[in-house]
Amino acid sequence: MAGVMAALAARDRAARVVLVRRAPGATALSSGAIGAAPDAWAAPGEPFASRLGTAAAARRLAASRPEHPYAALGSAVEALEESLAFAAAQLPEVLAPPAGRPLFIATPYGAVATAALAQRTMVAGDLASVRGVLAVASFRGHLGFDARLVAGGLAAYQSMGGPRPVAIDLDLFMRADLGVARPHELAGALEAPGAAEEAGRILRAALPAGAAVALLPPVLGLTAAGRVMERIADAAGVPVAETVSDVPSVPGLRLQAALDARLLAAGVETVSGVVRAERGARPGDTVFAGTRELRARSWVLATGRFVGGGIVRRGQLLEPLLGLPVQATEAGVSGVHLAARPAASLTLRERHAPQPLLAAGVRVDRQLRPLSASGTPVHPRLFAAGAVIGGHEVAADGTGLGVAILTGCLAGWSAADAI
Amino acid sequence: MAASRFRALSYLAYRALLAHPLKRVRQRGDGLDRFLASYGGSGLVPTDPDDRAIGEAASACIGCGLCEVRCELAPAVPTVRALGLHAAFRLYGKSSAELPYAREALQACVACEGCEQDCPTGVPISRIVRHLLSRVGAPGAQAPGYAAGG
Repeated sequence: MAGVMAALAARDRAARVVLVRRAPGATALSSGAIGAAPDAWAAPGEPFASRLGTAAAARRLAASRPEHPYAALGSAVEALEESLAFAAAQLPEVLAPPAGRPLFIATPYGAVATAALAQRTMVAGDLASVRGVLAVASFRGHLGFDARLVAGGLAAYQSMGGPRPVAIDLDLFMRADLGVARPHELAGALEAPGAAEEAGRILRAALPAGAAVALLPPVLGLTAAGRVMERIADAAGVPVAETVSDVPSVPGLRLQAALDARLLAAGVETVSGVVRAERGARPGDTVFAGTRELRARSWVLATGRFVGGGIVRRGQLLEPLLGLPVQATEAGVSGVHLAARPAASLTLRERHAPQPLLAAGVRVDRQLRPLSASGTPVHPRLFAAGAVIGGHEVAADGTGLGVAILTGCLAGWSAADAI
Repeated sequence: MAASRFRALSYLAYRALLAHPLKRVRQRGDGLDRFLASYGGSGLVPTDPDDRAIGEAASACIGCGLCEVRCELAPAVPTVRALGLHAAFRLYGKSSAELPYAREALQACVACEGCEQDCPTGVPISRIVRHLLSRVGAPGAQAPGYAAGG
């Protein structure tokens, strides 16, 4: 996400952009909702208490977590809402425009995820806006989604202002070959001509009285062009939404496909292959991607963290492409000198506590330039974006994609301006 | 107390001076042969450097399933779809005796490298598939009572 946002932001400033990557990265694994800045003062069990707007929540988070990228950005964190709007405008077929307030999207386990942006296929299911009955539908006999589990979990939020959930079963995918189908196979089946309409008719017949919205498993099409959500809603006669997803994530795949299509449409050249650079390489030097050799005046490093290989642990924590110093935290003390500490000393026994090891990454200044061990920018035209920046747990603290979008946009704009 | 101690020491002396030397005289084959005779049928075979290297490469797999989503063979080859590629890694890690269940899927996969470019963690899927296929027919890859291919 961060790399694509940086590329699109730089193209927005008329720069010639080449995006090099070994693989598409972890965006396809995302849930489909984009968290940016959860309200740190809202109780976890009372998501509707989170009423703070995105920008205010980000400022509060930056003040309470000085190591977080939002804090490192200083006043530039005010660009968060502008960045989210930029992302939504780049992907209008997938992302709904920012609502100006948090969205509350159901998970497949009956919990609630707070999001700053959500896909168009999810916004109708925003629990703060559904009035009346929420029909939670699963496919009869299919084990991948349990409507009763989801409805049971969401019932706890009814007293806090949420809708009344009612579980229903749909006699869909009863063919033998689809009875144990994986999510992407169900999504592909719904895209077939007539399939979504048939699903909508079955849903209409199964709806309970007073149903305001129908909530379905997160399989509403592999691409936005399939218009699966719209076709089902038209046939059912009620708005339809999907939950966020666990892996394998159809919403994540849909988002990745949209990002790739947008890159092509924007004129960003994409080069795939193992990316290499000489140790100590800096902007202007040669970068090798597959069989290509490339030179560029500005670089944005958006290689991700552990999943994407942007940060690795080979005896010590390393940034393997450019050899940048990695900052780790032990017992509340942060520094690049801690990157060689044993993994066990960078974790906490309490499993649900923040884990410093998972927040390791490169340090950046307010302009998102990676810092050397002495605290000075490594290069004036080298920028970092996304999960490669340390100070936040990408998957766990609710800010992962928000950081990716904000830092990607800022880094892309800065890289283009620096040429 | 003294009598039980005497019995224990007598038994140890019997084992050391009589039973074990007689067993060594009657043994056939070297240490590896005897190990495989005892444990190979259960899939417990020694790990060679290639196995270790493949194991380390496969440990990058996080089970995200993206290789299955983008697999173009799965719709055409039922065993590939049924097994799921990353399940082959788990089968091998659990016991090589169960690897024959993946034979058909591995044979279909070995000529295709389509999913490797989509792996977010860079697992060398093609190299692992080739290695797993080579292990299907190796000692320890078939347990008594199992028929290869299920």
